[in-house]
Amino acid sequence: MGVLRLGRAARADVAEGDVPDPLGGLLRQAGRGDHEAFAQLYDELAPMVVGVVLRVVRDPSQSEEVAQEVFVELWRLAARYDGMKGSVASWAATMAHRRAIDRVRSEQSARNRVAREVSNLVPDHDDVVERVETTLDQARVRRALDMLSPLQREALELAYFGGHTYREVAVLLDVAEGTVKTRIRDGMIRLRDELGGAQ
Amino acid sequence: MSSNDIDIHHLGAAYALDALDERERMAFEAHYPSCEVCRADVLAFRATLSQVAAAQSILPSPTLKGRVMAEIAQTRQLSPLLPDRVTDLAERRRRRTMGGFLAAAAAVVLVISGALVLRGGDPPAYAEALAEVLGQPDARVLTLDAGDRRAAGDGGVVKVAWSSTGRMAVLVADGLPTAPDGAAYELWLIADGEPQPMNVLEAAADGELRVVLDIDDSPDSWGVTIEPADGSPAPTGEILFLGTV
Repeated sequence: MGVLRLGRAARADVAEGDVPDPLGGLLRQAGRGDHEAFAQLYDELAPMVVGVVLRVVRDPSQSEEVAQEVFVELWRLAARYDGMKGSVASWAATMAHRRAIDRVRSEQSARNRVAREVSNLVPDHDDVVERVETTLDQARVRRALDMLSPLQREALELAYFGGHTYREVAVLLDVAEGTVKTRIRDGMIRLRDELGGAQ
Repeated sequence: MSSNDIDIHHLGAAYALDALDERERMAFEAHYPSCEVCRADVLAFRATLSQVAAAQSILPSPTLKGRVMAEIAQTRQLSPLLPDRVTDLAERRRRRTMGGFLAAAAAVVLVISGALVLRGGDPPAYAEALAEVLGQPDARVLTLDAGDRRAAGDGGVVKVAWSSTGRMAVLVADGLPTAPDGAAYELWLIADGEPQPMNVLEAAADGELRVVLDIDDSPDSWGVTIEPADGSPAPTGEILFLGTV
């Protein structure tokens, strides 16, 4: 399979300051019912949406369903997007992660976590799915994650990728809830300082 | 917020990570739109996380795009919010100085899949009620089950937060389809097997609804049915949403 490079447009940090969000125009057009604009938006966002959903949900076919829901939701709400509240990529990433979490949590309550415990035995999708080459982004994120203390990083990853609430993370790490809350907050502040995120 | 004034300002990171349980999520969503510090936190943390998300990018399956495009071709888009109903910060500050008059005027916070839009005055009336409910030791939050329509993705989401000792409930609904002409949604509190009519629910054209209710009994279940526009004393229509405590 060919290697797809994510353009500047799929980067999340472009909404900062005065730089116009390159996806803003496409989303506005999509909000007026323009299918072609939405198709372009899909091309820009799909690698990220599918990637983050799969990372959380793990099961490929369920991940596809969730990713599809995310795009239909983006379409429905396109006209309601407010640029003051973050870039289009940030909005889409928020929606994708929330939907993935909702899926995992409803699964969990339905199947009492058995499925997840099993899926945890499956190798990380790093090994089985071809990644989009986003060398720069990935290197920056990896570097930023490496700056965290091991405990901050563990707590953040269990929450964001593992789909656990901070209370569950506290149980998993066998530390007090307050400690996890602090670790998560300090870790996010550090990540923000490394990666940017100030608006 | 009343009960957790100190704590709640530290929940922005966990919220952005979707790492709050449902009760805290609701409380934080009622709080942060009117808190400048928390709003800035959430915005910045989400921007940061979107870079983490971008670093997970993979090639989507080649068939996904076709399915997405086919589904959106059959999906109605929501109308934009009108500018005079979207309140910016300066406007909200101005209104705040005008006192509680506007705040009382049916202020509504819409939470749309993580995007947040403020309407009306500040703070929203329902948010205070929600904070009061969630501050009670016996507070519960329940997402009502929409059955098959949830899978179809067009049934909307209805949540109820309540406290039996506080004798209060707050209903939060999003994406409710418009009721047919001459009909309305009605909410039922079911205690000891007896459905009590709570309210006829009139969702806005955009399907969002926030209602504060007084309750006398401790519910075993909550239900929403479709009824004649004036409501019914006992449920007659199809049960659209049901949640058992």
